[in-house]
Amino acid sequence: MNVTPLKTKAESQLREQFDAAAANLPGSGWVSTLRARAMDAFTAEGLPNRRIEEWKYTDLRERLRDIPAPGTAKPTDVSTADLNEALGPLAAIDAERIVLVDGAYSADLSKISAEATTIELMSLAAMLEKAPPWLEGKFSADSGVVVALNTAFMSDGVLLKVRKDQDPGKPVLLVHARTASEPSALAVRNVISVEAGGKLTLIEAHVALPGAARGALSNVVTDVTLADGAACDHIKSLVDAAGSTHLATWNTKLGKDAVYRGFQLTASPALARNDINIIFNGEGSKLDLSGVFLARGSEHIDTTLVVDHAVPHCESRELFKGVLADRAHGIFQGKIIVRPDAQKTDGKQMSQALMLSPDAQFSSKPELEIYADDVVCGHGATCTEIDADLLFYCRSRGIPVDEARAMLTESFVGEAVEKIEDEDVREAIETLAIGWLRVG
Amino acid sequence: MLEIKNLHARIAEDGTEILRGIDLVVPKGEVHAIMGPNGSGKSTLAYVLAGRDDYEITEGDILWNGESILEMEPDERAAKGVFLAFQYPMEIPGVATMTFLRAALNAVRKKRDQKELTTPEFLKVVRAKAAELGVSDEMLKRPLNVGFSGGEKKRMEILQMSVLEPTLCVLDETDSGLDIDAIRIVSEGATKLRSPDRAMLVITHYQRLLNYIVPDKVHVLAKGRIQKTGGKELALELEKSGYADFTGKAA
Repeated sequence: MNVTPLKTKAESQLREQFDAAAANLPGSGWVSTLRARAMDAFTAEGLPNRRIEEWKYTDLRERLRDIPAPGTAKPTDVSTADLNEALGPLAAIDAERIVLVDGAYSADLSKISAEATTIELMSLAAMLEKAPPWLEGKFSADSGVVVALNTAFMSDGVLLKVRKDQDPGKPVLLVHARTASEPSALAVRNVISVEAGGKLTLIEAHVALPGAARGALSNVVTDVTLADGAACDHIKSLVDAAGSTHLATWNTKLGKDAVYRGFQLTASPALARNDINIIFNGEGSKLDLSGVFLARGSEHIDTTLVVDHAVPHCESRELFKGVLADRAHGIFQGKIIVRPDAQKTDGKQMSQALMLSPDAQFSSKPELEIYADDVVCGHGATCTEIDADLLFYCRSRGIPVDEARAMLTESFVGEAVEKIEDEDVREAIETLAIGWLRVG
Repeated sequence: MLEIKNLHARIAEDGTEILRGIDLVVPKGEVHAIMGPNGSGKSTLAYVLAGRDDYEITEGDILWNGESILEMEPDERAAKGVFLAFQYPMEIPGVATMTFLRAALNAVRKKRDQKELTTPEFLKVVRAKAAELGVSDEMLKRPLNVGFSGGEKKRMEILQMSVLEPTLCVLDETDSGLDIDAIRIVSEGATKLRSPDRAMLVITHYQRLLNYIVPDKVHVLAKGRIQKTGGKELALELEKSGYADFTGKAA
């Protein structure tokens, strides 16, 4: 084992916390080995920093100074009413509900009405304790240090499966609620699989309840597998005013003729890094990813995606829009890899930022790595202010300047939000985005 | 009554002087046409009336109903009854036409101390006026002006004008880019708004629009000033002789 010493206080804290907690983390046998290996990988590399290309704009070694203690999974007295208030418009969606409180699955707050013949739901912690051999294959390979840390520390999460040719009929709302009054570090792992021909609309909502401490750190990894002919709409909402650091990774594998539509709303974390890694393993599949990132103050939101066209005849679309105020920094890095065999790949990517302040910053890095010769791929990036002509037009109709600006900003993000197919979900996300925009 | 007094305006960015002493009076109930060659300052005059901040007023004043509007923001002017129908209406992706109309109408009603309309009241008002202008329900649902033809955009301008019920209507080249049928629909819509309480300023390069919106007076604008004022027959004369007399250049 390489023994590069860990350089920073935060890095040493992580190692110490792991050594102290390892015995109490759920699982033994291969689970312990998996965790230890992941922690060794972290120990060898340390936190990602600007010398690593993909982390150029989000230097975690620099930014993570102090790691809060790992959250202790204890049942707290959270009421459904508190939860609904934190969820806002998402609470009104008619959905199956799975709730994680401070990273721990809560059977009391979760409400599943779908038949067991349609979906299967298990707490990850419980399964890690049992450690059946098949579970090991469900975790995606550690695609970097953040995922490795998640593997090392994961305390709970859910295993959700939609059975072959089944459709739960309504969305599944997976709530990550933070309540702890002391800053804590959470590592949550969710494993989602949609079997052949199955359908799922999954809404991942990250909310802080009143009284939740500022300065929390969460590391959430969602491994998604779509089998042949499966379809999944995966929507994530993070609206967080509580100064948290949010590291999130989606690792999605697509089989043949699968359809995956992902959307991420990220509003006002102190720091968020959203990694999205998609791999096409079967022909004829479609990917439509979109997102809205909203930041003000000195907030920092980084969306980094890698779309790997490993097979021919697949289609990928990405549209990400950011609104950046004050000294906020938005980052979009989008890499599209088209492997030598991936002929007839059709890929298009666009990232756009609307700058509400001259001190805001947008860094955009599209990358196309194309090794096949019969493909259609394109990317674009724009960075603009509110159009003065449009603003005058609205004002000449009597609309006051603040309202006109809000309207034009809403129309800017609207184009991405419109990608959400489910009408109720779309409206809820739109309400959350407008809520953020109208506060500024 | 609109009174423009010795109005001088220049482009804020580079200081180019466009309006060089305009004097003009349009009483309520009258329709006046401003005609002139390209580059004479017609569109600048329209924008200056609506309050666009790309221009600086260096001298003179604009009074509407006896009150100077120069210091007012564009939305305040709109509330005071000023409406500019744009030569090139803007497209606003992501804002449904109905949403835009409602935001505009409620904003001006609020400033005019009128109560905001309920949804059914609003729909009733808009649908009736839209039908007169041949604006379909489908168009009202679409994002404002996005994908609209030239004629549809101009009809949308007139619809906005009719919904907002301004008292000073400024129509900037409303006929540009339209075929005869579209000009007729748009002009009929504008003519319906003629009323004793309303002044209209119709800016056009060609006489043909004035066959449909018959003006009480015609002013020739060239080199940033009103060069000549006459009755509606002046427009016909200009159609024959062109603007050469006013620009110093051969037609």
